[in-house]
Amino acid sequence: MRRLQVLMMVTVFMCVTNWLSLRVRASQPAGIQVEMATANAGPREVEDTTQTAIIRDYSAAWKAMEASLDSNQDDGLGAAFTGNALQQIHERMVQQKKAGLHTRFVDRGHKLDAVFYSPEGSAMQLHDTAQLEIETLDGERVLHSENATLHYVTLMTVAEDRWKVRQLQGASSF
Amino acid sequence: MRKFTFILLTVAMCWFAAYAAHAAELSVPANNIAGAGFTVNTSGTGSATFFLIGPGTVLRREVTLGGPITIAGDEARTAGRYVAILLSGGESSGKELFVSPAKPAELVFLARPSRVATAQKDAISGVAFVFDEFKNLVLAPAPVKFELSVEGHAPVARTVTSREGIAWMHMDSTHNQGPAQFVASLPGASGAEASVRRVVQQVAAEACNLHMKASPAGKSVVVETDPVKDCSGNPVPDGTIVTFTETDSSGRSTVDARIKKDVARAELPLSPGATVTVASGVVLGNEIQLGGAR
Repeated sequence: MRRLQVLMMVTVFMCVTNWLSLRVRASQPAGIQVEMATANAGPREVEDTTQTAIIRDYSAAWKAMEASLDSNQDDGLGAAFTGNALQQIHERMVQQKKAGLHTRFVDRGHKLDAVFYSPEGSAMQLHDTAQLEIETLDGERVLHSENATLHYVTLMTVAEDRWKVRQLQGASSF
Repeated sequence: MRKFTFILLTVAMCWFAAYAAHAAELSVPANNIAGAGFTVNTSGTGSATFFLIGPGTVLRREVTLGGPITIAGDEARTAGRYVAILLSGGESSGKELFVSPAKPAELVFLARPSRVATAQKDAISGVAFVFDEFKNLVLAPAPVKFELSVEGHAPVARTVTSREGIAWMHMDSTHNQGPAQFVASLPGASGAEASVRRVVQQVAAEACNLHMKASPAGKSVVVETDPVKDCSGNPVPDGTIVTFTETDSSGRSTVDARIKKDVARAELPLSPGATVTVASGVVLGNEIQLGGAR
């Protein structure tokens, strides 16, 4: 009987620590996996350095957005987003806070396909196929949970020393 | 008997739970346009909490089940994916819906370069991003008109159909120098941002048919070009360097002169039999042999 009690306690302990570690991972996403194809880009060919920069900056943008929508506080959004995209995320954060909600993401990665790269090299349009686990929470109660493949049409433009997301628009398909 | 009652109760509970879950259901419209609003229908009875979560929208509303939930145009202005959630009796159900952009209303226009030589092939590029009045990228094809014109001359126009919100083109610079108005517009749209104007300064290209003449002046010779123009007849700007080179048996001497009032002028030492050449940038002009012209 004692053995059984110990076994149960160990199991409960493992479950709790595992749950806690999952919570931490979800609230502080590590580097987000982004793959990028450039074969369909035009009229300008995507340079290797640009491809590297886009992957780095798009990953950072999602990380900032996911952290911000979880905490309802701007977590470096201005460094990754600009224009309409930045305004939309801010609006959503304000309204989430007002409604007592927050959103938690587990990001399973993004497949980017560059479909337009402007002739002078300052703007790029991308198709993003994202694998996401999304939880909508009312305080700590999960209201809605889904494991989804989502499509985004993204516009990125050069700003200062990096590429910033200017438009992040969900689409039903490409 | 006890067992039977227990099983019966369990089945009844499951049935009730299924019924309750089924009772509060959402029905979302398939086609929605940004800013137009839409209606979400519910089934069941009693009250529930409705949530709508979109790209720039989060709504929380207490609703009565069985009736429609009206989403105003202002509450769904952002195109993209929304999730409608209904929370009733501790159970929640959610459905996704998509809001499409409204009709084209605004342009963002990138024009390059800001300064260009005349009559250059594909030298000017224009990229127009098509948005609706709510700043959503209009993914459906839309015609965009590009027009390049210099005052006093017929404009060059081209219409391009946008693809996923982007229309772009290359255009030759025109033959006339001056500030060219480069305009992108949405035919049929009337808003202030449906037509965007940029200025591309067109300047004379390289000199064309560069020609000089020489005249003696005491112990030196004065060389002077004809008015320096590009191949389209535009005067090359004042300040452009023209190089005169004199070559004789003792070596070579070079004078860089700036164009002033369309001509470049320089004074060289008079050396009978010397050859004088003229050049501007990569363009070579005629050659004169002092003591006899060639």
